[in-house]
Amino acid sequence: MNYALLVMSSPFSGQGAMTAARFARCVLARGHSISRVFFLDAGTNNGAAAAVFPQDEKNWLQPWVELAEQHDVELILCIASALRYGMLDGTEASRHEKTSATIHPAFTVSGLGQLVDATAGADRLVTFGG
Amino acid sequence: MVLHTLNASPSSAAFADCLRLIAPGDTLMLLGDAVYGAVTGSPDRQALDSSGAEICVLREDAAIAGLDNRLEGATLLDMDGFVELTERISRQLAWY
Amino acid sequence: MSGTNDKSLLLLVRHSPYGSSLARASIDVALAAAAFDQAVSLLFVGDGVLQLLPEQQTEQQGVRNQGKLLASLPLYDIEQVYVDAEAAQRYQLDLNTAPLNTQALDREAMSRLLLTHDHLLGF
Repeated sequence: MNYALLVMSSPFSGQGAMTAARFARCVLARGHSISRVFFLDAGTNNGAAAAVFPQDEKNWLQPWVELAEQHDVELILCIASALRYGMLDGTEASRHEKTSATIHPAFTVSGLGQLVDATAGADRLVTFGG
Repeated sequence: MVLHTLNASPSSAAFADCLRLIAPGDTLMLLGDAVYGAVTGSPDRQALDSSGAEICVLREDAAIAGLDNRLEGATLLDMDGFVELTERISRQLAWY
Repeated sequence: MSGTNDKSLLLLVRHSPYGSSLARASIDVALAAAAFDQAVSLLFVGDGVLQLLPEQQTEQQGVRNQGKLLASLPLYDIEQVYVDAEAAQRYQLDLNTAPLNTQALDREAMSRLLLTHDHLLGF
């Protein structure tokens, strides 16, 4: 089956985002496909390139990076939300005259059309928040 | 049939709102702080059981919360079991 | 984008208009779905019904007016808008004064509504 995932919460607000990443990994392990993981609102914070993790705390960025780099899962940050949270790729950073990009290259910034497209083609749409 | 996923504590509006919409025959998957709602004998657990939905709990979140032995009658699922629920039930509604 | 893959969406809206960014996010998703010709319905429950209060005066605060945004939904063919009757009653909300036409539902009708859509999005 084809899954689309929607992540609404930031990685530091609760466990929702981390659960989403583990869920995604398990979906693939069970032989399904993931057309896209779409990050909306506070969920766009999952794309923060410069997050620093204390040694005794979990790295919440790495599971997403692995999904993108090792399993070709598309990670999309909603552009409207991303901008508000200071999540910018190189293009947006230049456009808005900010000093640098702030999102990890495993993530792409795009519009809500990508979410709509993913839901239209998905057998399962699973949302994570909290 | 709907798979409701709830990731908010029993004292939250999300918990109350979810309980209002859940129907007999639905499945309720408790994540994060929602696992506290499944504590055996608690009023929140009674409310969950009265909904007529099957109460499932993500095992790893129950362990983190220290509730391993306090969730009698709830279906403890690992992540594999959670994914399997979504294979079986086509509609998922997230409460958080 | 319309085609055999289309899925009907029900957006469940439970946050007040100005206490959470989710209120705005939910309507943005509804508008995007409509822009791509996807069937989308809205169900307002809990504090979400507060988005339907008339005369929200946001100009002085520099805040986007959620009521006006909702009033524009029918222009984009979003007309299946439902409300938890009991939640409206809690806040003494007269649905005749809401920014757009809505249909009040009881608990059983809301549960049935969930089953008539392919995908459910909770905000």
